[in-house]
Amino acid sequence: MLSAAVEVDRRDFLVCAELAVAPGERLALFGPSGAGKTTILEAVAGLVRPRRAQITLGGRVLTSTAPPRADVPPWRRRVGLLRQDPGLFPHLSVRANLAYGPGSDRHGQELGALAARLGIEGLLDAMPARLSGGQQHRVALGRLLLARCDALLLDEPYAGLDASLRRGLTDLVRTLVADRRVPSVLVAHELEEAQAFADQLAVLDHGVILQAGAPGEVVRQPASRRVAELVGYLGFVPVTRSRRPGPSGVHVLPGLDTEGRAAGDTLSGDGTGAGQEAFAVAGPVAGTVAPAEAAGPAARPGGEPATGIVAGIHPERVVPGAQPGRGLVLTGPLTVVRPSGAGWEAELMVAGHRITCRLPDRPEPDNGQLTVTALDPPLFGPGGTAVGQAEQDGAVGSSYGPGRTAP
Amino acid sequence: MSSAASNVAAAGSGVRGDSGPGRRPPASPGGPPHSARVVRSASGAISVAAALVIWLALLGPVITLLMHISPGAARTALTSPGALEPLVVSVESGAVTLAVLLVLGTPLAWLLARGRLPFPRVWEAGLLLVLLLPPLVIGLLLVFMVGPFTPVGHGLEALHLSASNTFLALVIAQVYESAPYYVLGAQAAIGSVDPRLEQQAALLGDRPRRVLRRVTLPLAGPGLAMALAVAWARAMGAFGAVIIVAYHPYGLPLQIWTTLQETGLDSALPFAVVLLVVALPLPLAAYVWSARAQRRRRG
Repeated sequence: MLSAAVEVDRRDFLVCAELAVAPGERLALFGPSGAGKTTILEAVAGLVRPRRAQITLGGRVLTSTAPPRADVPPWRRRVGLLRQDPGLFPHLSVRANLAYGPGSDRHGQELGALAARLGIEGLLDAMPARLSGGQQHRVALGRLLLARCDALLLDEPYAGLDASLRRGLTDLVRTLVADRRVPSVLVAHELEEAQAFADQLAVLDHGVILQAGAPGEVVRQPASRRVAELVGYLGFVPVTRSRRPGPSGVHVLPGLDTEGRAAGDTLSGDGTGAGQEAFAVAGPVAGTVAPAEAAGPAARPGGEPATGIVAGIHPERVVPGAQPGRGLVLTGPLTVVRPSGAGWEAELMVAGHRITCRLPDRPEPDNGQLTVTALDPPLFGPGGTAVGQAEQDGAVGSSYGPGRTAP
Repeated sequence: MSSAASNVAAAGSGVRGDSGPGRRPPASPGGPPHSARVVRSASGAISVAAALVIWLALLGPVITLLMHISPGAARTALTSPGALEPLVVSVESGAVTLAVLLVLGTPLAWLLARGRLPFPRVWEAGLLLVLLLPPLVIGLLLVFMVGPFTPVGHGLEALHLSASNTFLALVIAQVYESAPYYVLGAQAAIGSVDPRLEQQAALLGDRPRRVLRRVTLPLAGPGLAMALAVAWARAMGAFGAVIIVAYHPYGLPLQIWTTLQETGLDSALPFAVVLLVVALPLPLAAYVWSARAQRRRRG
């Protein structure tokens, strides 16, 4: 088990994070550039001096700033670090690089077997300068494995490699980590890479872990608007539920009433079917969620409804047409259509907010208006904290993942 | 092999076939028009010719020396009594100078290269100042710094030493003339070693001393050797500062100077050849070693 609670001073903020990774478990630290992800890895590896820390690995105390103090030097930590630059020693052959760690035999069976598994058995006598990027990464990975590291730290190791190579290497690392039962931590600023690797995802921003949990859960149920922004939610629509049909715009907001109170607070005693509306998106469209200008006296200047509640719209969680049983129906003028990958990216304006969606087919607007449905959009309160989600089981309220969080 | 490993191997083989280092892109079937090729080849020939002229001009003094020296004069000059004593003095003082530079200059270069000193630009400017001072000026200033009537001179005198017209004075002058070349060259050589490689070696279990031996020195070695060789050549040829503070004992440059003054150009030329023969092998060896190391790393 790798367990780390660290506080490291950076020039602009304090990195303060806690991790616990079981043997064979894969944790991805995901966040924007400069969020402090690498700093955490370097603290675990003993390359930066933390202000306060308690780091243990397999029962060994690596760093402790509390009595009894401990600061195991990097060469005794048995922690492997693989960076974007594989860091092969350019004056040594591939074989010598692989066998660099203590106890590695240059001509041993283990080296040969691992090289075969990594697909580099024909390159053992080559110099690193002759290898492609993917080959260099495989050599660096093999070197760490032969050095018998007790934990594997991967700092955006595959940035710059092509997608298929990245996928192959990620699969390989997953397999090897599972075989060797070592805890591993990947730092990534691309969500797909983090999702492909990890069985636990921690979202980091400005040195703080905002949310941790299973990758799918973090993406589908972000704990805050900031987390949602980081995991790819590009549009946020202010919403409030009204029984009056609105002039246009956003429909269906289960879980909120016209005053914007959370459904669990308001509708539980409603007995008129409102509770069903609150907890079941699958039902018929019960009302219209008005955009700011139609929200009546409760509306604030500038278009934000008095509730301050917004629904997060993820471009890849949008389907064409009105499917009120599946989520939030949005209608607005189509402003941009462009090819994106194998499909299309469209932008429409809803209540003055730009909503981006990726659709499989070129959207066909009706009189310039496009209707789409955002699937189970998470809802965020005025403070940016999640207040619920328009989902069929009606889960409303804080949605921090079951993992470790440090809000 | 697992399926994951198979995938990687397959992906890797694709990459191998794509664009390995050192591969040239295939020639365009159309290529540039004939006239453009002619112009390009003509301009290329002119460039080579111009480079050759400059190269020969730079080598001119050496070529001239070899053309003007006669075997008889060389034999006479080199076999006269005491003729080779300056050679011994130069080699000995040069060796001591290199030892001083290695012991004192390398740590300074390492600290500079690793940014371990506050205000690094100030430290570098100091070295550049010494580099830019005319050697004759260095000699004059050394008299005021370590001469017999200075505090340092008094201190040396208490140890029965003197920094005026002694072997010690010769070494001091040579150190001042060659140190900036070595320290700045060594700084560049050490700075060229990526600190993350050293970190990687440490994470793989190497203590700092072992990292130095297995990673830092092998990678910085060729550059350090070149810096040391340049410093050796500068020390062997040191004249400006030496003539002020260490007229005696004669090293080779002063031997050339006094022979020129006393018996003329023909007698001085053999000692110039000796100086070249002694001063150049180390730089040439360092150059060859450096080139081999580079070639080996490229595979």
